[in-house]
Amino acid sequence: MKTVIETKKLSKWYGNVLGLSDVSLQIEAGITGILGPNGAGKSTFLKLITGQIKPNIGSCTIEGQKIRNNYHFYSKIGFCPEQDSFYEEMTGWQFMTGLLKLHHYSPSEIKAMTKEALEIVELTEDKDRVIKSYSRGMRQRLKFAQAIAHKPEIIVFDEPLNGLDPLGRRKIIRLIKSYEEEGKTILVSSHVLPEIEAMTKQIILIHQGKVFAQGDIHYIRDLIDTHPHIVSIKCRNPRQLASTFIQEDYVLNIHFGSADNTLLIETNNRDKFFSLLPSLFVKYNIEVDEITSPDDNLQAVFDYLVEK
Amino acid sequence: MNKITVRRLLFLWNSIRKVYSFFFFMGKKSNKTKIFFIVALLPVIMALIIKLNPIFSGRSSTEGIYIFSNVIIVFYLQALILLLALFFGTSVCSEEVEGKTLTYLTTRPVSKSAIILGKYAAYTSLVILMTGIGVTISFLILNVNKLHDFSLYEILIRDVIVLSLGIMCYTALFTFVGTFLKKSILFGFVFGFGWENVIQYFPGSTQRFSIVHYLKSLLPVPKTGRFSFLMFKLEPSTPVAAVFMLFLITGIFLGLACLFFSLKDYIFED
Repeated sequence: MKTVIETKKLSKWYGNVLGLSDVSLQIEAGITGILGPNGAGKSTFLKLITGQIKPNIGSCTIEGQKIRNNYHFYSKIGFCPEQDSFYEEMTGWQFMTGLLKLHHYSPSEIKAMTKEALEIVELTEDKDRVIKSYSRGMRQRLKFAQAIAHKPEIIVFDEPLNGLDPLGRRKIIRLIKSYEEEGKTILVSSHVLPEIEAMTKQIILIHQGKVFAQGDIHYIRDLIDTHPHIVSIKCRNPRQLASTFIQEDYVLNIHFGSADNTLLIETNNRDKFFSLLPSLFVKYNIEVDEITSPDDNLQAVFDYLVEK
Repeated sequence: MNKITVRRLLFLWNSIRKVYSFFFFMGKKSNKTKIFFIVALLPVIMALIIKLNPIFSGRSSTEGIYIFSNVIIVFYLQALILLLALFFGTSVCSEEVEGKTLTYLTTRPVSKSAIILGKYAAYTSLVILMTGIGVTISFLILNVNKLHDFSLYEILIRDVIVLSLGIMCYTALFTFVGTFLKKSILFGFVFGFGWENVIQYFPGSTQRFSIVHYLKSLLPVPKTGRFSFLMFKLEPSTPVAAVFMLFLITGIFLGLACLFFSLKDYIFED
């Protein structure tokens, strides 16, 4: 497959703060997920490849061309920013048509494109309301609409599912996947693994400004699955529960928590652990108050990968 | 000029027009414009008070055109256009950065120079419009008994042109300041109400380092009268030199603003 986006030793720092360090990547057409905890450098990476900021070291090209200040190229790019910012006193329709004007389309084309984009994100009925009266989900959908309205070949979404309800998320995920079928190049960033997993298998893991891994999500999943997980169980009889788990080979450690009736179990096979858990509760008649996974988040996974 | 240069210039011109229409439309609707429009109309209230005062006090009234030429114009020239240019000029860039909306503009097929020039033109037009309306209404109130004297309208037109040149020049300066300074408003106040208001009264060529010197050079110098102090120590440049300097200053600051805006990274604060 042809490389669409290429970065070489891309580095960016803000004063003494490192934004991105020595990132060399080749991204092909299709959906690529950029995964990393908050503050990892995902937005910096997306801003660098769309030419919004300039790198301190290294370079970035799209289809072999430098992008920064190469403004003609922006007709091919759609960008959905992370920040929830708008020209608040405009209506949704005015916002969309105003931005499409900057693409030098004719008034009839602008009207048709705006209509289509607003229909896609289901904002047609609210198009004449001022943006400041929009809900968070509507604002997120409007941001999405302005990125896709001009039918770009390369679309960059920075945390596109933030603030959306489950139904809205599913719809946006379906839309993003449909753009892949059209042969477009799509970059989606998120700090939530299942969100990215639902869209693509190709992911780039970024943490503390560095790329930790790039490739098929199964590889990353394997890394994550071998990561020992701690599960906290609050129940009436933690000692009895501990005695049942101590024999299991997938349980590495058991501790009693500082809070009353809390058991902390460390497992290296989370799936097996959770599949057997309900039957053990039933078998030993254990009443459970709460089950939580204190380290079941991306940050914990990254901490584990860093140590590894 | 070869064909590529002509095509680039045409594209730049078209881009400026698109950015202009976007921000002129948005500017008209913004709350900021509404507030400053009210501020721009304050001299109208002043003109009303001046006009009505002789009726209630029984004193003889001063010539309307005399008051208009001195008080209103100098009030506009030395305070109001500075204030409007400061708030609109600095916001050309800073409101995009502070409002985090810059991304929507810089990821479009328009050059960064077109963004600056288009938005500058939109805001300058709005300020000229606001000021023009205020000046015209003030003129009509102060000269209500002489509206048939068409020679007076020449003064109105001249003054509106001078104020427009001032707005054009100051807005360009503050647009430039807004592209690289975070506290551009503070700088603007120090420059506008400090430097400009002091340096213009320096004798010799020093006063030529202020913009207001060139604006005053385009206005008649009252030798006597209550308001002659406003033109104190003015050693005017020729009208041609004054207009040339105003356009030159505008061009330089807009050029610098485009350069800074194209080169600088704007980082949004959380």
